[in-house]
Amino acid sequence: MIKPFLTAALPLMLPVTLAMGAASAYADTIKIGVPGPLSGPYANAGIDIVNAAKLAADQINAAGGVLGKQIEIMPEDDACDAQQGVQAAQKMVDGGVALVAGGYCSGAALPELIALHRAGLSYILDASTNPKLTSMGYDDVFRTIGRDDEQGPFAAAFMSQYLHAKTAAVIDDNTVYSKGLADNTVSSLKKDGVDVVYYDAITPGQMDYSAVLSHVASLNPDVIYFTGYFAEAGLMVKEAAALHIKPKFMGGDGTNDVTLIKTAGPAAEGYTATCAPLPQFLSGAKTFVTDFTKKYNVAPGPYSAYEYDAIEVAAQAIKAAGSTDPDAIKAALHKVKDYNGLTGSISFNSVGDRTIAVYITIVVKNGEFTPGVMLNPAGQWVPVGG
Amino acid sequence: MSEFIQLVIAGLTTGSFYALVALGYTMVYGIVRLINFAHGDIFMVGAFLGWTVLTALAATHMPWGLGILIALVLAMALTGGIGVVIERFAYQPLLSAPPLSILITALGVSLALENGVLLIFGPGFNTYPQLIGSGGFMIDGARITDIQVGIIILSFLLMAALYFFVHYTFIGTAMRALAVDRDAARLMGINVEGVIQITFFLGSALAAVAGVMEGLYYTEINFFMGFVVGLRAFTAAVLGGIGNIPGAMAGGLLIGLLEAFSAGYISSRWTDVIVFLVLIGTLVIKPTGLFGERVVERM
Repeated sequence: MIKPFLTAALPLMLPVTLAMGAASAYADTIKIGVPGPLSGPYANAGIDIVNAAKLAADQINAAGGVLGKQIEIMPEDDACDAQQGVQAAQKMVDGGVALVAGGYCSGAALPELIALHRAGLSYILDASTNPKLTSMGYDDVFRTIGRDDEQGPFAAAFMSQYLHAKTAAVIDDNTVYSKGLADNTVSSLKKDGVDVVYYDAITPGQMDYSAVLSHVASLNPDVIYFTGYFAEAGLMVKEAAALHIKPKFMGGDGTNDVTLIKTAGPAAEGYTATCAPLPQFLSGAKTFVTDFTKKYNVAPGPYSAYEYDAIEVAAQAIKAAGSTDPDAIKAALHKVKDYNGLTGSISFNSVGDRTIAVYITIVVKNGEFTPGVMLNPAGQWVPVGG
Repeated sequence: MSEFIQLVIAGLTTGSFYALVALGYTMVYGIVRLINFAHGDIFMVGAFLGWTVLTALAATHMPWGLGILIALVLAMALTGGIGVVIERFAYQPLLSAPPLSILITALGVSLALENGVLLIFGPGFNTYPQLIGSGGFMIDGARITDIQVGIIILSFLLMAALYFFVHYTFIGTAMRALAVDRDAARLMGINVEGVIQITFFLGSALAAVAGVMEGLYYTEINFFMGFVVGLRAFTAAVLGGIGNIPGAMAGGLLIGLLEAFSAGYISSRWTDVIVFLVLIGTLVIKPTGLFGERVVERM
């Protein structure tokens, strides 16, 4: 009985869906695509990013929108995966976005930006830090966050100058982001005169890293720097503590997530990560943190402020372009200068990277990330926000 | 020397998980000749059921030992029940169908379980309460934690219990009879469907123990955690000789040790290469696996 009904209903439904599609294409909204991992192990991070984008859009819309139209956020799940990323990019192109602002994993962002470049759309990255992303020779890629080749030297300087480490072990997880950061850190460590006694990769998802850790411990480095993501970092911190491993355990900005503290428990105390400044520690982001917490009942994630800025910059560019023409938006983005965002003054250089990128350390204290130290312009280590 | 002991302990711990899950693959294959691809996800469901029970008990402030015991027993019973239900509705109607249909059904069950858990528990990580501290002791410079010892002892006890169950009880004898010839067993008056369901119950319950222990040990659980463990456990079952119970135990422990040694002494990048080289090498020399006997004598 069901079958005849469906076949009868289908032709009736078709015109309706077509009409709906047409209606949204000509509706009074400007769409901004926000790709990110909304499923899989890094879904937390992706949801934080989409939430920040929606908050930015709501506030822009409340103030009258852009060019008399409302901004509409179009989130797409890339699952931190290259293939899904291509599909997500395609969906956003088909969905008629004016530009794209988002992304999390560099490994997914890379194919996304290639697909978007082919469609002529600009892409503002909020969290993907691999240097390669802005080195493709494309003029339509921008970034509100720093690059790994800036984070690597910072991490190396912290280890050699602040921790006075003589030897270090660097571990990555074989993803584009992780490998890129690890390569940069290792070459900077060598430049700083730190002996890299171990440099190898782990396999994410394996759960048990105690074999690798006990091998690293036998080489006796002063510090271990892991450049992967928080899920594995939490396990490694926990397992290193169970093995009573002496070296200090540190990680890159991908390990900056509360899941790490939940997984590692008391072992997380004293864990240090290098990262771009969190919104909580930015003096310009106080209202943003309150608004975000009020709306979503959770504190903003590590990249929320960068995504918020990305959407704001996107809105500015559309306004300056005076239309949603991709080429006009691209030209306007290149002209962005000293835009006063949550994360500081934003100007893009010729390849689309921020002219000034700041890094800080964060330390786990009493079960939460607290600000650590940063380099001041005079090259001294000073407490963040102090 | 201390690194060697450390690697052996790490290998035995992960090997115990693989062995417990491998038993489910091997028992089911021995009796119905089905490679139950959903078994890795049964393990994951067990971990989530244990998590649900433990978080519910967290408010009662009962001693953690008792809490873990309740979680283990409930997770075993419920996961075993889910195993039986899956068998009854997904596999039993296809027992006499061509083998490919039931294999595809198993893949479908796997997807259904993964996405079911994704819908109920969400895509992020769920963390087990930190019940067991990092207490432990040193042997010759190597540090061994209490929980590692607990995992290894419990797994060996369960494996021994299963071995005796299969070899010295009436139902165990019936299971072995089914493995040799299902039709002949039916003619002897054995309740074939009942014995198959008991097999699924036991396999799923063992996987649930592994799941809860994995949750307690590693703390973080996720809806896709069954994939890697399932793959490794299946490899273990094949390495030991699929259909053979001591083979699955030996295969699981061997793969755990191989992983630990290759990660510790060579490189973590080479772990999979080495594990599968050993598997292929073994199968070339002994196509029925390490413990594989004459083809008719499974279990």
